[in-house]
Amino acid sequence: MPAETIHLKGGRIVCPATGVDGVGDLWIKGGQIVGEADAGGSVTVIDCSGKVVAPGFTDLGAELCDPGKTWREDLASGSEAGAAGGFTTIVASPRTDPVLDTPVAIADTLNRCMTVSGARIEVSGALTHGLDGAHMSELGLMVDAGAVALSDGRKSMMNAALLRRSLDYARPFGVPVMLRPGDTDLEGAGVMHEGDVSTQIGLRGIPAAAEEIGVAKGIALARLTGAKVHLSQVTTAVSVELLRTAKASGVEVTASVPARHLVLTDRAVDHSVYNTSTRLLPPLRSEGDRDSVRAGVADGTIDCVTADHVPMTSLEKELEYMHAKPGAMGLETAFSAALTALGDIRTVVVALAVKPAAVIGREACLSERSVADVVVLDIEAQRTVEGPYRSKGLNEPLDGTVLSGQVVATIRDGCIIYGPHAG
Amino acid sequence: MNRKDLLGLRDLSKDEITEILDTAERFRNVSERKIKKVPTLRGRTVVTFFMENSTRTRMSFDLAAKRLSADTLGFSASSSATKKGETLMDTARNIDAMKPDAIIIRHSAAGSPHMLAKEFPWSVLNAGDGINEHPSQALLDMLTMRDHLGDLDGKTVAIVGDVYHSRVARSNIFGLKTMGAKVIVAGPGTMCPPSMAHLGVEVRHSIDEVLDEADVIMMLRIQRERLQPGMMSSVNEYSRFYGLDLERLRRARPDVLVMHPGPINRGVEMAPEVADGERSVIMEQVTNGVAVRMALLYLLLGGEPMGGDDHAS
Repeated sequence: MPAETIHLKGGRIVCPATGVDGVGDLWIKGGQIVGEADAGGSVTVIDCSGKVVAPGFTDLGAELCDPGKTWREDLASGSEAGAAGGFTTIVASPRTDPVLDTPVAIADTLNRCMTVSGARIEVSGALTHGLDGAHMSELGLMVDAGAVALSDGRKSMMNAALLRRSLDYARPFGVPVMLRPGDTDLEGAGVMHEGDVSTQIGLRGIPAAAEEIGVAKGIALARLTGAKVHLSQVTTAVSVELLRTAKASGVEVTASVPARHLVLTDRAVDHSVYNTSTRLLPPLRSEGDRDSVRAGVADGTIDCVTADHVPMTSLEKELEYMHAKPGAMGLETAFSAALTALGDIRTVVVALAVKPAAVIGREACLSERSVADVVVLDIEAQRTVEGPYRSKGLNEPLDGTVLSGQVVATIRDGCIIYGPHAG
Repeated sequence: MNRKDLLGLRDLSKDEITEILDTAERFRNVSERKIKKVPTLRGRTVVTFFMENSTRTRMSFDLAAKRLSADTLGFSASSSATKKGETLMDTARNIDAMKPDAIIIRHSAAGSPHMLAKEFPWSVLNAGDGINEHPSQALLDMLTMRDHLGDLDGKTVAIVGDVYHSRVARSNIFGLKTMGAKVIVAGPGTMCPPSMAHLGVEVRHSIDEVLDEADVIMMLRIQRERLQPGMMSSVNEYSRFYGLDLERLRRARPDVLVMHPGPINRGVEMAPEVADGERSVIMEQVTNGVAVRMALLYLLLGGEPMGGDDHAS
C-alpha cells in the first residue's frame, strides 16, 4: 500500500517555469504537488539532500515499436526505460507496424498505454498513410482521438508542395507538426557524416547539407503557413545558424537535438571500429557541429534535447555497417549525456522538461496543484554507461563512456515509477 | 610483425610495411623454382571468403597459401549460405567452428573484415572491403615501385581515376604517405572531391597536370558496371581528360612507371600500346602479388622460420 504523501526532503529545487532554484521541500499527494499544510496521512520521505529536484522530462519522439516490432521494444519496456531515464512523458513515434495513421490506431494505442507502469505514453499521429509521404492521414480525427502531435517519424517528406498543404491543413488543429529535416536524395546511400573521418575509413557520407536543406525548407514553410513546426534532430552548425536567424525574424519554429549528438562525434565510428551502434540518422557529426549544437541549446536556439530512442537488437545491428539499421537507444542516457555536455542543470531541465512539454501544450512545473511529475537527480555522480538496460534494445553508442549525472528517482502522477521506493 | 590481422594500411607503421616488403622479396623466388612450394605453413588452414567477384586477387591469395603448403578452402558469394539468408556473423561462426587459422575476406561493406577480426581468434586478411581498403594490392604496388625506384621516400605517385570510390587508391595513399612519398590524385570532381585532401594528397582535375611530376602513374579502372548516375558524362569525355595514351606518355618523365591494378578497360583509362608498352609494369604487379601475399600469410600466421636458403632466399 503506497503512502498517501511523498515528501521530497531537502533537495535543490530547480523549477525554471517558476524561477525557483533553491534548497527546499516538496510534498506530493493525490497525484499533485501540494503545500505542506495539505500533506498528510502516511508519508514516504525521500532524502534529497545534495540532490536536484526538477520537473519530470518529456521526450518528443521515441520509437516504441509497438505494435509490430516488439522484439525491439514495447509500450511497457519503453515506459520503464523512460522512467529510468527521468522521463515522465514519452511521445511515441507513429513508426510502428501498422503505422499509427488512423484515429482507431491512436485510440487503441492510448488505451493500451493506460496500464504502463513507467513514463506516461502519448502518441503522435502519422502525417501520411503508412508514412508514404504522399497521402494525408485524417489529421483532425487523430487529434480528436488524442494524438498530441503529427509526424512522419524519421521519414522526411520530400515533396514541398505536399508538406506545405499538410502544414496548412494541420494548423487549425493546434498540435505541432514534427519534421525530421533531411533531403533523402542527398542522404543517398550514406551511412555516416561526410567529412574527414568518412573519407579516412571508407564509408559513404551523408553531407551536412542534406539536413540543412531540410531545416531551411521547414523554416520557409513554417513562415509560409504559420503552422507549429518542430524540427526534430537538428545536428549541424549551419542548421543552428538557420534557426537562430529564423527565430530572430519571428518565425514560430522549435527544434530539438538528440542528447548523444551533444557528446559524441563522427570520430566514434572510427574509434569503435565500425560499431554499428554508431550508425545513426542523422549521423554523428563533426566536433565543430557538436560544439555549435551545444551552444544552440545553451542559448535556446535549439529548444529541446531528446532521447531519439530507436532501440534495435542484434537482428538489426549484428550486421555489416552499411547493412545495419540506423538508430540507437537513448531514454536511459539522455539526461547524463545532456548534463555532461551542457554542464548547467538549469539549461538541462529547460531542454529536457520545460520546453518539450511546452511543444505539446503542457507545462512542466513544480508549483502547487501541478501534476506531480518530478525527477530527483544526482548531478555530482559520475557513471560509466553500461547495461543491463530496461529497454529491450542493445544499441547504445554511449556504452563505456563516463558521463555526469544520475537519475535517482522518477515520480509520475504522484507515483514513484523509478528509484528506491518504486513499486 | 606482431599482429593478428591485416585490415588496412591506415594503421601500419613504416617499419611494418618495410618488413612485409622485405619478406615478400625473399619469398619471390619460390615462384621461380620448379617445385614452387615451401613447408612454412604446413598443417595450417586458410579460408578464402569472397563475397564479391574476384579473379586475380583470389587466385593470388590461393596460390600464395598453397606455395606455403597451407590447406586452402574457397568460399564465394554464389555458393554461400548468405544466399539463404544467413548473416555474415553466422557464416563466420560456422567457419570458426571448423577451426581455421586465417580468413581472407572480400566484401562489399566497408568494415566487414574489422567486424570479424574483433570477434574471432583467427587472422583476418582484408582482400577488399567496400570502398575502404585493399591493403595487399597496395603492398604489391609498393613492392613493384620499390623494385624500380628504390626508397619511396620523396617519390611522387599520381593516382588517376575514380579515386574516391577506390579501395586500391585509399590503401595506396595510406601506405605511400607512411613511406614518405608524395601522392597526387586526379579525376573528375565526382571522383576526386575536395574532401580527398583529408588524406593528405594533392587533388588535380586533369591527367595533364600530373605528367611532368610523377615518378609513377597509377591508372584506376573505371568501373562502368558500378557507376552511380551523375558520376561522369561519357566514357569519351573521361578518356579525353584522364585517359593515358602514347601522346601523353611522351610528355611524362622518361623513366615513369605505368601501373594499373587490373582489369584494364583498354581504350578507356589506358591505350593498349601504353598497357603493353615498355613503361608498363602491370604484369610485374601481378607477379609481386603472390610474393606479397605469401609474406602476409607468413608474418600473420607466424609460420616456421624460413630456415635460410632452403626455403626462400
